[in-house]
Amino acid sequence: MKNSAILMFLMTVVTLTTAFAQSGDKLVSSETHIKFFSTTPAEDIESNNFKSVSTLNASTGEIVFSVPMQSFEFEKALMQKHFNSDKFLDTSKNPKATLKGKLDNLEAVNFNKDGVYNATVTGDLTINGVTKPVTENVTFEVKGSEILLNSKFNTTLADHEIGFSKGKPSTNIAKTVEVTVVAKYKQ
Amino acid sequence: MTRRKIIKTTLITIGVLLVIGIGTGLYLFNMPHRDVQNTKSDYLLSANEIVQEYLNDKDAANKKYLDAEGESKVLEITGTVAKIDTDFNGQKVVLLQSNESKSGVSCTFPLDFIEETPIVIGQTLTIKGVIRSGAEYNEDLDMYENVLLDKCSLINNK
Repeated sequence: MKNSAILMFLMTVVTLTTAFAQSGDKLVSSETHIKFFSTTPAEDIESNNFKSVSTLNASTGEIVFSVPMQSFEFEKALMQKHFNSDKFLDTSKNPKATLKGKLDNLEAVNFNKDGVYNATVTGDLTINGVTKPVTENVTFEVKGSEILLNSKFNTTLADHEIGFSKGKPSTNIAKTVEVTVVAKYKQ
Repeated sequence: MTRRKIIKTTLITIGVLLVIGIGTGLYLFNMPHRDVQNTKSDYLLSANEIVQEYLNDKDAANKKYLDAEGESKVLEITGTVAKIDTDFNGQKVVLLQSNESKSGVSCTFPLDFIEETPIVIGQTLTIKGVIRSGAEYNEDLDMYENVLLDKCSLINNK
């Protein structure tokens, strides 16, 4: 009897601890917008993706983005096909891009006080199945229970082995594209 | 006479080829986006079935459902409405997921979608759309990700 009581107690403790460990300070956002913009003398190309999932751990500063590549929408259907094809991003083989990073200056950001905070994130960016270390500037806009993340950075396609080797698409897309990331977290 | 005939034929051939070339170019450049709703559904599944298929073998499922040029399979998914949201683009997002399942099917409706009868949580719906990505446990996020369907419409809105 005593043993089973102890067991019950232990089980309760374990359940509670795992429950708390899972919730923690991790915020999940599915209100995201990722845009990329490429400009060459031939044409400007823009694409938008509203389907990424992101987590932000306010106590450790860890940030993760998971980006479903086939959710990038283009104005021109042919561009979308090129983008997905195995000559470019090969999205059926690598359906997701990820960013896994951590704030370098977590102490500079107060997620509990309204304001705009500048920070840098260092981590790994995986696109097209190729991982590269990155450090990018981000701003956090804290307003009540909402945290808005904003970031704009440039990505060199060759770093991730992305690119048409020949033909029109190779000259019409820039070597470096501008990426804009927005995510809204609710705490 | 024969020489003139040859020249004439050549010119006509070049002309026709030119028209075809320009036509193809214009068509490719202005190619309309795929009309998902008027595409025949490739698979009819329950939300649990597709989630389980992905959790069992992600690579096999990706091979089956995702297309190399992004023209992935059109699915009709039946499930229970677990969540109703709006994304950053203002599009309606309905999650089909049963209580016992680790992840569900997240369905995004186009901006011009008209909801004739309001969608409510707990209701069983069949939604048609194109698959964009599959379900999986994502270690980095430390959570399960949903199957994503886009360009959705309701099939049997009773």
